[in-house]
Amino acid sequence: MRDVYAIGIGITSFTRLEFPLSEIAAYPVMMALKDAGIKEIDHLYVANMGGARVNHQTGLASAVVDTLSLTPAGAEVIENGPASGASAIKQGFLAVASGMHDVVAVTGAERMREVNSIEATEFVATLTHPLAEYIYGVTLPSLAGMFTRAYMEKYGVTSRHLAMVAVKNQNNALLNEFAHIHQAITVEGILDSPEALTNNPFIADPLRFFDCCPVSDGGASVILATREVAEKTGRPLVRLAGIGQATDTHCVHEREEPTDLLAVRRAAAQSFKMAGVGPLDVGVAELHDAFTILEIVESEEVGFFKKGEGHLALERGETQIGGKIPINPSGGLKGRGHPVGATGVAQAYEIVLQLRGEAGKRQVADPKIGFTCNFGGFGNNVVCLTFAREN
Amino acid sequence: MSVDLEKILRPIDHEMPPFPPKYMTIASGEEMVIRQVTRDEIPDILIHVAPLMSVERDFYDVVAARVYAELLAYYRHRMQDEYVLVAQIDGELCAVVNGRRVDGDTGMSLHTLALRRGLRIGAHAFAAKMEYHMDILGHKEVLIVAESPIGFRRWMIEYNLEKRFEIPHELGGPPSYALTSEIFERARGTLVIGRRPVPDALLEKAMEAILPPSDPPTPPEDLLAATRSKYDPTGTALILQRWMQQEKEEK
Amino acid sequence: MKREIYAYRCRKCGHLHYPYRMVCAGCGDNEHNEFDPEPLPRAGTLLTFTKLYALPGDFEVPTLGLGIVELENGIRITGQLHIDDPSSGMKVIGEVEIVRSEEYEEYYGMVFCEA
Repeated sequence: MRDVYAIGIGITSFTRLEFPLSEIAAYPVMMALKDAGIKEIDHLYVANMGGARVNHQTGLASAVVDTLSLTPAGAEVIENGPASGASAIKQGFLAVASGMHDVVAVTGAERMREVNSIEATEFVATLTHPLAEYIYGVTLPSLAGMFTRAYMEKYGVTSRHLAMVAVKNQNNALLNEFAHIHQAITVEGILDSPEALTNNPFIADPLRFFDCCPVSDGGASVILATREVAEKTGRPLVRLAGIGQATDTHCVHEREEPTDLLAVRRAAAQSFKMAGVGPLDVGVAELHDAFTILEIVESEEVGFFKKGEGHLALERGETQIGGKIPINPSGGLKGRGHPVGATGVAQAYEIVLQLRGEAGKRQVADPKIGFTCNFGGFGNNVVCLTFAREN
Repeated sequence: MSVDLEKILRPIDHEMPPFPPKYMTIASGEEMVIRQVTRDEIPDILIHVAPLMSVERDFYDVVAARVYAELLAYYRHRMQDEYVLVAQIDGELCAVVNGRRVDGDTGMSLHTLALRRGLRIGAHAFAAKMEYHMDILGHKEVLIVAESPIGFRRWMIEYNLEKRFEIPHELGGPPSYALTSEIFERARGTLVIGRRPVPDALLEKAMEAILPPSDPPTPPEDLLAATRSKYDPTGTALILQRWMQQEKEEK
Repeated sequence: MKREIYAYRCRKCGHLHYPYRMVCAGCGDNEHNEFDPEPLPRAGTLLTFTKLYALPGDFEVPTLGLGIVELENGIRITGQLHIDDPSSGMKVIGEVEIVRSEEYEEYYGMVFCEA
């Protein structure tokens, strides 16, 4: 296999975007091509989950490649739920590593705010098992709520820990001009004040409003290429060094240990093994905090902390931008927003930016290895990426 | 003669006990005051409502246009028994809610307009309005309709409001829903929130002036950008703004 | 008619599945894929639960109780809860009832009450 490098990155604001989905997908590619200083690609991968259902648009890749005047380059859509983004990056990697293509663009895009939040939540709920989960009214927040309760009872995680994740990530998002949520919150305001129940009502008890990511529109793109092409850009070399992917039972109730996220554990281990590094080598990570509990649990499952100790590391401030292992300096899904198909690519965007040292006010001190965890379904399809800076 | 006509046109308001101001800590940790405004203060609010009439999202345009009309009617004495409450943080206008007394037993909830988003300020303001009707005006029920799907979900379904479909609501005539005293008592914990009395300094700041909202909802940068390719088609609003700014500076 | 929710027992190795899958997760044998349906027992233990306040659009109730229950034969199932004050580890008993209606379609599922 050939080595593969991330040579260009682009992103849109994550917010409500009043543009066609195809343009939300195309715009970051344009930015990424500018960033890489190139004009042509061999192939385009578009990560998207809801185009057909939410935006009534199918064949999105053909629309995007033409919008960008990149025809006749090949193009296709990759749909893998909320892990579509990292899955598309994986396809791009395979294309370059195999020698089939030299330069490919990967873009992820979603336009969920075209419908109201009830419909958006219901669209994401179609990920659940149709007969054993969906019919009961199960949504992703409800799966997360049940998971959170089990986790709290077993490991002593409290609402306060969850609130600390929310506060940290919304504070980080204040430093990210592309983030959806630019609003500082305090633990006092969302948990302790006499009015906290109105400020921060329950969504899926014990999860509350500020434990859940917003519904966002947005797009992000990464250009992948061979070393030869990467060297011509004259930019810091960031190699996509490891990819891991694992699946788990479709129904959450079938998991042997209800508090484990085995797919995260396995995907992360694979990704680190391929990159030849360990979790403690990681200098900056973007984890999939669609719900605050997930940041804590993923930080354990990927190996940053021991199982059941992620919340203690959080208490010690180790996951802050200045901490031992900064998690979600971009604001994560909680602060940056979660346009489902775009998230995996946006995580890679942040890591490449951090490894290049171009993250400005939210720059982590000199990271050499960066890591992303993109979590599909409720942990039934997880893709982890490891990036390494080479010069 | 004209003076006499005005006497006929101008409705005579009933005595309504004032809403005692209250305050609460919101999600950002800031303290917010909710208080009733007098007629004199209406023009200070209208200037901040007007721009929202062109925000074509989440029904801001409809709600702002109607709030504007209702507030103006109150100011010019063309609406009977109306009241207006505002929510302020450090003087800044964060929400406007209004309604009216229909009779001694019934209230009519008009609008809830939030000017700062993401902090659930609308929920606080709406709750204050319900408290005013039930606890202070002594109403037995408040008639409510929603103009947006989210409003419908939040009030009609979450509070399980009773149907009063035989009564057309004053907001455009659709069938009404009612918050009854029974539902109100059940939901007291979430509807009667905040603390009294408001500390003097906080109240003084709020009374001093109604300051403009710091980050009100705005219309999209360029409504037609999607169909034109001026600047760039997908305009990350931010990048677009920056480029436009740069261009201005270069000129 | 007494309605049942079925688990599926592999004819080769006896492994019991809920929900249905095409290849047995116990023996992984894809030479045969024959299963015998077996009604799920009703009694079980509540493992975890939530009270959902943000419901899908077609539910016209303010909140919905959902939980994962381990049935007495060891099979786990997600179901709705009709329990005012649930707690993990509590004994529950299920009934097959309509859990969702979408236009003309009605879906039956397991609804648990306190045992």
